Amino acid sequence: MELWNHCENPYPFVPNEVLEQAESVRASLPNKYCDPKIAARLYDEVFDEYRLCDDIGIHIVTNEHHSGINNLWAASPVITGVVARLTRNVRILSLGTLITVRPDPVRVAEEYATIDVLSKGRLEIGFVKSGATEMVSGDANPMRIREREWEAIDLIEKALTTHDGPFSWEGKFFIHPHVNIWPRPYQQPRPDFWAATSDLPTCAELGRRGIVNTLLFGGYDRTRQAFDSYKKARAEAGLPPPGEDRFSYMAFAYVGDTDEEGLRIGQKIAWFLTVSIKSAPQFSKFQPGAIDPAMAPAAWRSGASRRPRPTNLDAEVLVGQGQMFAGNPDTVARQIKEFRRKVGGICHIIMMTRQGLVTHDEAEKSFKRAAKYVLPQLQDLPPIDADETAWEARRAAAAK
Amino acid sequence: MKIGPFELEVLRRADTGGSGRTLLLIHGINPISPKAPFLDLLARHGEIVAPSHPGFGKSPGPDDCDTMYDLVHVYLGVLDALPAERVTAIGFSFGGWIAAEVAVCGHRKLDRLVLVDPVGVKLGGREERDIAHLFNTSPAELERRAWHDPANRPPGCYGVGWHAAIGEAMSDEEMVTLARNWDSLCLYAWRPHLYNPQLKHWLHRIAVPTLVVWGDSDRIVTPEYGRRYAALIPGSEFAPIAAAGHHPELERPQVFVERVARFIEAGKA
Repeated sequence: MELWNHCENPYPFVPNEVLEQAESVRASLPNKYCDPKIAARLYDEVFDEYRLCDDIGIHIVTNEHHSGINNLWAASPVITGVVARLTRNVRILSLGTLITVRPDPVRVAEEYATIDVLSKGRLEIGFVKSGATEMVSGDANPMRIREREWEAIDLIEKALTTHDGPFSWEGKFFIHPHVNIWPRPYQQPRPDFWAATSDLPTCAELGRRGIVNTLLFGGYDRTRQAFDSYKKARAEAGLPPPGEDRFSYMAFAYVGDTDEEGLRIGQKIAWFLTVSIKSAPQFSKFQPGAIDPAMAPAAWRSGASRRPRPTNLDAEVLVGQGQMFAGNPDTVARQIKEFRRKVGGICHIIMMTRQGLVTHDEAEKSFKRAAKYVLPQLQDLPPIDADETAWEARRAAAAK
Repeated sequence: MKIGPFELEVLRRADTGGSGRTLLLIHGINPISPKAPFLDLLARHGEIVAPSHPGFGKSPGPDDCDTMYDLVHVYLGVLDALPAERVTAIGFSFGGWIAAEVAVCGHRKLDRLVLVDPVGVKLGGREERDIAHLFNTSPAELERRAWHDPANRPPGCYGVGWHAAIGEAMSDEEMVTLARNWDSLCLYAWRPHLYNPQLKHWLHRIAVPTLVVWGDSDRIVTPEYGRRYAALIPGSEFAPIAAAGHHPELERPQVFVERVARFIEAGKA
C-alpha cells in the first residue's frame, strides 16, 4: 500500500465571533480576515512538510478551494508546480483543479503537461466535480456539472495524447478549434487519472475507463458500494478486474506515540467538519442541481445541507465509522488493514493530517511515525480474499 | 401544446368578458399558479393561455434546451400555434425578458405587449448590480427585496424568495415542482445573470404598443431600472404600482388588472 499526505492548508485564525456571525465561511467571508503574513508562514510550513514527505516516502496530494478559511491552495496547478521542484522522489497528485469551473480544459491540460515535465514524470492528474460555494466563487453554472466534467476530462485526455498537430473540439460545453499543447507530457501516453467521487454511476464510469477512484471520508459501507460499482461496471464491460491500485481513500489521520496522543491530536482535525464547512443555504441545499428535485421535500424539511455530514464528531466515533485513522502506529496500521479488508481491497490511503488546529510540529511528527512504523506494516499484504493467518505463516516460512 | 420537440403544460382560463381577445401569459421564475387571484380578474378581458416553459411545472425539460435562444423560439412557436390572429403577450419578471426578446423578433400575431417587472437588460455600470442575484443571495434577503410585504403573498403562490415560504403548509409535490423550476431557471439564467448583453441595443425594434408595469417597492429590479428599460422601447408607457414589489400581480391583483385592462382595452379598434 501507499500513503499520501493531503493538506488543504486551512486558515483557522479568523476570530470565532466573526465565524459565528458569518452566513458562510466560504465564498462570502471578507478577505480582510486573512492576514497575508500568517498565510506566508502557512505556505512555508506546509511546503516544508512536503519536503519531509519526499524524504521519507509519503506521496503528496494538492487540491484547491476558493474564497474560504478551509483552504489557501487557490490554484492546484500553481501549488503542484512548486511541489514538483521542491521534491525529487515521491508521486504528486493534483486532486485537482476545478475543471467544472475552469473555462478552458485545454489550458488545464497544458498546465498539467508542464508539471509532468517539471517533475520528470511524477504527476498524477485528479478530477473533482466540485459544487456548492465553488460554483459561486467561480461563477460557474451548477447545473449539468457531471456532463461538463466528463467533457472536460475527454478534452484534457485528447489534448495530452495528441501529438500530430492541432485538432478541433466543438462540444456541448467547450469549444476550442485549435488544440495543440506544448510541452507534451513526460509520461506516455499520459499521467494516470484519478477522480474523487462516491456517486455510484460515476464510479461505474471510472471503472470502465480505469480511472483511480478516490472516496473522501466515505466510511466503510459507502466506500465498499462505490468500489463494488466500479468492479461490476468493468466486469459487465468485459474488462479485466481492477488491481487494488485503482482504489484510494482519504481519511483524517493522526499517528501518535500512543493511542491517547493519536486521538487527542486527531480530535483537532475535526475543525474541518465543525467549522470550515459552515455554508449559507443558498450555497448548499438551495443551490440548483444540489439535490435531485424528488429529494427536495426531505432535504428542505429537515434543513439538511447538500450532503449529510457526520453529526458525532468525537475522534473515537470517526475512527469507528472508518473516517479517521488515529492512535499509535500499530493501531493505525491495524485500522488501515481492517479498512482494506472491509472495502474489498485498496492501495492508496490519503491522510488528511495537517488540518484544522493541528500544528506544523504535530503534523511532521505524525508523518515521521507513519513512514517509519506504519508504512512497513502495509507492504506485501495478502490478497484480499486469502486466508490471512495461513498467508502470514507461509510468508514467515519463506523468510526463513 | 406541442412546439417542435417541446411538450408544454398550459394553464387556460376562458374569456369571461366575451372580448374575443387572447392573453398569452409568459411566467417568471415559477409557472402561473392556478390559485393566483389575478387570473379570474384578468380573464374578464380575454382568454388566458399560460404555458410552462420547458423544464418548469409539468413541462418536460429536454436535454439540450437551456438557452434564451431556445425559449424565444418556443414562444414564437406558441404564437404560431394559437388560433387567435391577435395576441397580447404579458411577461412577468424572467418571462418579461422572454416577452421582450420575442417582441424584438416580432410576430405578425403580436398585438400588444405588457412587461411586468421584467429583467433581461444590463443598464448600469460594470460594478453596479442591476438585478439581484437570485442564486447567490440568501432566501431571507430575496424575500425582503421581492415583496412590499410578504404577508400579501396569496396562498399557494410563490414568487422570488419562495424558499422562505417552505413549511408545513407546502406539499411534497409543490416542493418537487419548485425544485425543478429552480434548476431549470438556473440552466437559462445563471450567466450572464438574467440578462442578454445585446438586448438593450434592439429594444427599439419593438413595434407594438407596450406597457411596462412596475411594483414601486421592487428591490430585485428597481423602478429606476424599469424607467430606463421602458425608455428604450419606443412609445411605451411606464406604470408604477404603489405598495407592490416584484410581483404586483400577486400583491395588488385588483390594481394590477385595472391598469393592464386600461391598456388593452385602449387597443380596441
